[in-house]
Amino acid sequence: MSFLSIVKVTVPVMMGYIPLGMAFGLLLSSLLIPWYYAFYMSVFIFAGSGQFLALSLFASQATILEIGVATFLLNLRHTFYGLAMVSTFKNFSWKKNYLIFGLTDETFALLKTREVDEKNREKIYLIITALNQFYWVLGSVVGALLGNILPFNYKGIEFSLTALFVVLSIDLYNKSKLHKPFLISLVIGFLGMLVFPSDKMLVLSLSLAAIILILFKKQLDNVHG
Amino acid sequence: MDSSYIIAAIVVASLMTYLTRIIPFLFFRKKEPSALIRYIEWNMPVMIMVILVFYALKDVNWVAYPYGIAEIVGVGITIVSYLKYKNALLSIFLATIVYMILVQKVFV
Repeated sequence: MSFLSIVKVTVPVMMGYIPLGMAFGLLLSSLLIPWYYAFYMSVFIFAGSGQFLALSLFASQATILEIGVATFLLNLRHTFYGLAMVSTFKNFSWKKNYLIFGLTDETFALLKTREVDEKNREKIYLIITALNQFYWVLGSVVGALLGNILPFNYKGIEFSLTALFVVLSIDLYNKSKLHKPFLISLVIGFLGMLVFPSDKMLVLSLSLAAIILILFKKQLDNVHG
Repeated sequence: MDSSYIIAAIVVASLMTYLTRIIPFLFFRKKEPSALIRYIEWNMPVMIMVILVFYALKDVNWVAYPYGIAEIVGVGITIVSYLKYKNALLSIFLATIVYMILVQKVFV
């Protein structure tokens, strides 16, 4: 595969990552965070919804512990991607650590759906992952810089985060085999929003959801048996 | 915003994200994960995401003007347009633009 044909493979991710990265950068600069933090976040974290979540936690001055727990829980789905890649990456060199680091939803989807010949597989996977991260970093830095330059009223732009969560909820619901966990989390989230103290809402609701999910496994789980 | 806070948060978020991605390579090289772990992995993400929607709306004042109308309209537009067109970016941009117009021009 030539470099150009690999770039072609990544075009769909580019179309998603550059605008979404820009939205991330704009949101970051609307919180008056310096633009280079957009660069560092996209280089070191490299998780779309994880980075948006981090911004909303920054905005509400969440503790570092809360940020850690929430990020871990949100990205838990990536464990599943890794699981599906264990055998594929098995004979790769140490460079596979970058592939594991870069295993976002979109990269996973590309690696899983594209047929790549055995011979250069590791190299091609590395280039695909690096290109995807490049688009993401580029979009977020451009967005953050634009946010500094453009004299524009950004009031309300944080709603992009809410909308992103809504879209991802629908996606995950469509993918899941069980419907009750979704309904339960609707109830927990709704009540949590009204009842729990604002600064503890996330941790309390997530803990409650995890406890119910595990305690009522028998009643909820009619797929895995 | 305090820069040491942001740096600490970025370090923690990076490590936690990497941890979620490397766990299977550390633990499940040989044996298969248990049914309970698979069950949690399958079902926890959607619950987290739904709760995050409400988390993002937690500071809305529902009992005083404008009663969270802008938020309800925004979420409604997101859901309807996403179900109809299945384009995540389109829904996010559309809902955000309408929301911004509402909070900047209508409910001022």
